[in-house]
Amino acid sequence: MSDKKMNELVDTVREHYNAPGEAPREAMWDVITPQMDSARNEERAADVIDLAAERQKRSFLTAHPIGWSVAAAALWVMGVGIGRMTAPAAPPGPVAQERVESDAGLRFAAAEHFGQTESWLTMVQADARAGQIDPAMSEWARGLLTQTRMLMDAQTDAQAPMGELLEDLELVLMQIVGVTESESMGQGRVRAEMSLALNGLDDSELLQRLQAATPRQMAGA
Amino acid sequence: MTELELIERASGGDERAFRALYDANVDRIYRLVYRMAGEEDLAKDFTQEAFLRAYQKLGQFRGDAAFSTWLHSIAVSVALNGLRKVDRHRKRERSLEDAAHITPSRQEVDPGVRERIEEAVAGLSEIYRTVFLMHDLEGYGHAEIGEILGVAEGTSKARLSRARAKLREALGDTMQEYA
Repeated sequence: MSDKKMNELVDTVREHYNAPGEAPREAMWDVITPQMDSARNEERAADVIDLAAERQKRSFLTAHPIGWSVAAAALWVMGVGIGRMTAPAAPPGPVAQERVESDAGLRFAAAEHFGQTESWLTMVQADARAGQIDPAMSEWARGLLTQTRMLMDAQTDAQAPMGELLEDLELVLMQIVGVTESESMGQGRVRAEMSLALNGLDDSELLQRLQAATPRQMAGA
Repeated sequence: MTELELIERASGGDERAFRALYDANVDRIYRLVYRMAGEEDLAKDFTQEAFLRAYQKLGQFRGDAAFSTWLHSIAVSVALNGLRKVDRHRKRERSLEDAAHITPSRQEVDPGVRERIEEAVAGLSEIYRTVFLMHDLEGYGHAEIGEILGVAEGTSKARLSRARAKLREALGDTMQEYA
């Protein structure tokens, strides 16, 4: 399709796909204003968390957040390598073979990533419920977010269900990174925002879906 | 009064200052979330929630990015989260009801063309669809999209290219018929 045809297509989509009307400014403002005071009061009422007192000993990975990021990157490379070794018998043609190996590697790396992320999110959720937030959480979340995005960009059309899971995971991790990297947010506010982010886990049944995509189950598939 | 002064005042509880920020940004935010949601009620809900969350978080705004960009990142997050909930709800509904009952009324166009366009755009993966809506339908630049979505500018370009390729593939025949 030529550029001209493509532009025509985009024009058509612009005209017909969810074309917005004028924003109902006043109607929306009338809904917003009564909630502004309560929003501010809610923020002020949040309790302060004593992070040092609440912090607990962590396992190797949780005590070494940078190591976690490095491990995530290494896992990616290892996944591709193992995929090459464990790919099914060669289909006809070198291009198809390359594709099968690449898909197998991607699935392996994704499965490992889902398993680790599920463990980490479960721990974060348990901590948050107990009023604890580890100060090193930001680095873990950023490392996991980076790997999630690598997987998103590498996925193929045949991996649509995995893509949906990665997208939901990306959103939760982005929220956690946003909360934990904010310098001006008070601890009470951090807890409230973290609670909102973790509510997304329940809303999207993310932990259950991550569990379903762990290596053991995928290997049996 | 500058935007930063407005933000400071609004952060201190000045409703008029927040209204000025609202007026400066609400049209663009509403247009974008409407494109994403496709329904007026949802677009209103998402816009309202985005501004309320922004109001709560004004104290965190450090001016590293433009206020509009910061606000958009909140709105996109609110809309994507909200749409996932709605989609799950609709999937459950559709197992019980005829899909025709929950199809919203729209502007009158050739139903066949509209249906194929909706299917093609809705069939895009969320990451591609969001960039396509922002860039091609609402005119956002790749740099701004990258900031809003928290990805590199090149990633935004790559996602748009992929989205266009998929639409080209899905709608090529439709466009020939429509022309």
